[in-house]
Amino acid sequence: MKRRIAKVLGMVATVSLAALLAMPAAAADKVRIGAIYPLTGPAGSTGAELKDAITLAADIVNGKYDLDLPLARTQGLPNLKGANVEVIFGDHQGKPDVGQAEAERMITTEKVAALIGAYYSSVTTTVSIAAERHKIPFLNPESTDPKLTERGFKYFFRTTPYDDLFAENFFQFLNDVKKRKGAKISSVATVYENTNFGTGVNNAIKKNAAKYGYRLVADVAYAEKGTSAIAEVQKVKAASPDVVMPASYTADAILYMKTFKDLNYVPQAILAMDAGYISDEFKKTLGKDGEYVLSREVWALDLAKKKPMIAQVNEIYKKRFGRDMNGNSARSFTGFLVLADAINNAGSTDPEKIRESLEKYKLSGDRMIMPWQGVAFDPKTHQNTEGRGIIVQLVSGEWRTVWPFDLASGDVVWPMPAWGKR
Amino acid sequence: MFSTELAQTLLSGVLMGLIFSLVAVGLTLIWGIMDIVNFAHGDFLMSGMYISYWMYVLWGVDPLLSLPVSGILLFVMGMIVYRLVIRRILGAPMLIQIFATFGMMILMRYVAFYFFKPNYRSIQQTLLSGNIDLRGVYLSIPQLAAAVGAFLTTGAVYVLIHRTRVGGALQATAEDREAAALMGIDTDRMFTLAWGIGAATAGIAGSLLSTFFYIFPEVGGIFGLIAFVAVTLGGFGNVAGAFVAGILIGVVEAMAGYLYDPALKTVFVYLLFLGVLFFRPQGLLGVD
Amino acid sequence: MAATAWGGRGFRYALYGALFAAALAYPFVFRQPFPQDLAIKIFLFGGLASAWNVLGGFTGQVSLGNAIFFGVGAYAAAVVQTQWGWTPWAGVLLGMAAAIGIGVLIGYPCFRLKGHYFAMATLVIGEVVSTLFMNWQWAGGAIGVYIPIRDDTWKYYQFGTTKLPYYYVTLAFLVSALVLSAALLRSRMGYYFRAIREDQDAARSLGVPARRYKLAAMGISAALTSVGGSLYAQYVLFIDPHSVFPMMLSIQVVLIAILGGVGTLWGAVVGAMVLIPLSEFTRIYIGGTGSGLDLIAYGLLIVVISVIQPRGVLGFFRKAGAA
Repeated sequence: MKRRIAKVLGMVATVSLAALLAMPAAAADKVRIGAIYPLTGPAGSTGAELKDAITLAADIVNGKYDLDLPLARTQGLPNLKGANVEVIFGDHQGKPDVGQAEAERMITTEKVAALIGAYYSSVTTTVSIAAERHKIPFLNPESTDPKLTERGFKYFFRTTPYDDLFAENFFQFLNDVKKRKGAKISSVATVYENTNFGTGVNNAIKKNAAKYGYRLVADVAYAEKGTSAIAEVQKVKAASPDVVMPASYTADAILYMKTFKDLNYVPQAILAMDAGYISDEFKKTLGKDGEYVLSREVWALDLAKKKPMIAQVNEIYKKRFGRDMNGNSARSFTGFLVLADAINNAGSTDPEKIRESLEKYKLSGDRMIMPWQGVAFDPKTHQNTEGRGIIVQLVSGEWRTVWPFDLASGDVVWPMPAWGKR
Repeated sequence: MFSTELAQTLLSGVLMGLIFSLVAVGLTLIWGIMDIVNFAHGDFLMSGMYISYWMYVLWGVDPLLSLPVSGILLFVMGMIVYRLVIRRILGAPMLIQIFATFGMMILMRYVAFYFFKPNYRSIQQTLLSGNIDLRGVYLSIPQLAAAVGAFLTTGAVYVLIHRTRVGGALQATAEDREAAALMGIDTDRMFTLAWGIGAATAGIAGSLLSTFFYIFPEVGGIFGLIAFVAVTLGGFGNVAGAFVAGILIGVVEAMAGYLYDPALKTVFVYLLFLGVLFFRPQGLLGVD
Repeated sequence: MAATAWGGRGFRYALYGALFAAALAYPFVFRQPFPQDLAIKIFLFGGLASAWNVLGGFTGQVSLGNAIFFGVGAYAAAVVQTQWGWTPWAGVLLGMAAAIGIGVLIGYPCFRLKGHYFAMATLVIGEVVSTLFMNWQWAGGAIGVYIPIRDDTWKYYQFGTTKLPYYYVTLAFLVSALVLSAALLRSRMGYYFRAIREDQDAARSLGVPARRYKLAAMGISAALTSVGGSLYAQYVLFIDPHSVFPMMLSIQVVLIAILGGVGTLWGAVVGAMVLIPLSEFTRIYIGGTGSGLDLIAYGLLIVVISVIQPRGVLGFFRKAGAA
């Protein structure tokens, strides 16, 4: 019996090894793109949304859709004889070294022409290192750590605006609100998770608060996924800030809102750094208790009022995946289209040509579902210089664009109504 | 102003601590009676949370009412786990026992992940909701109810262990397995019972927790670790000890976060734990 | 050495030689980075598990906190570069020294504890260290440390265009760990280790200074693990507390040692050779869908092994009572 088990174990190990080593070479005449996302782990639900978004984008490229998006009206990539794009998904589980391993696997075994990903800034870092070394273009649609474009990498391109810009948006917004509503706003407080994301955001806010003349009265870091937020919220409450600026992923965002309610605390406004606050879970779980929260955003459904195409794309997405798009999925969706378009412009799957194509790439703002002026990469940093952030507010279960005022679909509710008065 | 906040912190710490206590009680029972560290204990809690959640979503049953269902289902689960896995590793070295329950932890956690997806869920409308304002100190009613429920359940377990014949048999088995067997106590039955009760209490804690905490597959990790600390603090096998330790941890965590630095609050809990381990290894209330 | 089912010493040495030759030739047969990366991971974890084995398997002190030393080594290698511009090899040495120091510091009070208590204490201390590093801004805090990227160089132990140097260095790491373990097994120190494992009080009464030897075991284990951490840092070029101090890492290393066979010489290697491909395989083919099936398989395997064959894979090939 034991001998047999030993044999089985041995076979399992051998088969695993063999399967891993004998992985098939990539099929020709399809353009393969590797997508590395957190499909399991704490950001698993976001990873699933991003996967859906990219799947849809790939279908739009491969199929024929009557939308004014790059490659929508053609089938496949016209300059590559109508070749289809094929996405290979990889799960980085939220771990930088797994991300790196997945990147290398996709580049060398799956022979992808380019990479896209990875949501978490820390994983994007290691993936970009792998891409840079193997000289494969890597487009990052979602990570906002400023450092990513400060390294002088030649193969890394980022479409999303990043933390510094968003933090600046916050204070520009506050200035505008002061003017429009006559509100007295002079102090802000941050409460952020003690990770790459939160700490980066906090640094950006600190810098810009000073620049715009606001006082940072409390700076509360917390360990993510704790059992209670009472101590932290109390610290914030004690400092009496006019505006609270939290940076949390989903679990903590929900916990903090609940704690604000439990402690009957409401500042003039809660201005969040998206992530957990704009997730579907947040809305669904908190219902009314999540209302009137403001957040930085890159996208909102109501922008469709000024750009009907957004509603069209969202309809397709919703019918297929059962939920609306959000800032995360919209960015991944757009990033993929940009990448595919650049590959098409290059007319080849040669990584060097794709890279050059990306460097020269230009897309106008009316051919995308993002509220940006367009896509154009800075020649040195490869950061998209035409991106723009917006501020949204959750009202009656919908995220409403409230700033810039010229893109807004409704007036901002300021200050936040007290808990009893909703 | 300062004292209201202090009172608030203290109170919140106690409320949360009562939940920790309940989770720890189940763990200490198992640990005390058979010297097995159940790494999967937090995942019993998680199962209880999901049971309550689904009963709420599918049939509109409030968690406080689905509590007994949770308890019973987890009792059965605990017995099954004992029969299928634990019984076979009773004599194995401690390392293997750790290994086995650890594997179960991963298994349970990711089966839940597979079926329920990583989404965070929460129960919106519970029977009791809102908060009470005691002159600036806010008491969240769901949390209060959960704490009361935890207290009652812990009390029930205590009574069971210390005032009933079955409890006496359990204690005897914990003290000296062979002697108990010689006295005619069916040790296998006792072990099964211990696992059943242990799992059930974790399940009930989960139902209580689900009224105000978010539910997701990995929630067992956080509470599991705290339960370990509580059990060590309180003395293995000591129900009263686990109770006190749980509350103590809740308070220490809350106070450390408020008075010092929220990012380091669990470190204080751990330091307390280490301090007790080094200077009073039988636990605060344990008997050597 | 006890006789095994395999035959005498000559056969065994021939086997070792063949294995070693195969290991040397491997990267020339499998030239793709992916199989090489797999092998590197196997060697790394095999080495880490061997290191753990010195304390846990030979001496019977089950530590669940070896991630502490791994992280210390990783940070030492990274920080000496970013703060002082030194070569990571200096970091390796610094890491070893720090790891030994920390190990002794932890061991001193903790070795008074027995069994479960010791294990739990190491687990908790691991969490404390992880949290401390999260808040230590000088060492990068939560953001982590980005090791500057350079062209291929031995001085800074970085190679962008080929994995071969990493492969051989990590192989050397594993071989050193094995050689060290073998030497220990045969030495008087190893004999004392085993005495302590079997019955500490009896050993003490026979004059073995238990604490001193436990500390020695801890020091060796810590130093070796730290080297592994330093090598990892240079391989990935980015570290943060999440990636080098997590509890899962400690547990994974222990799992590998158990899977292969606790307290044996080759157990760590065998365990790594089974577990690493299995976890990569399930992650790639099953995990990619995001369903967590790979982790379910992982958990199931662990439970099955512990129930059916607690002595690990090597348990099938050894008669009971063999070293």
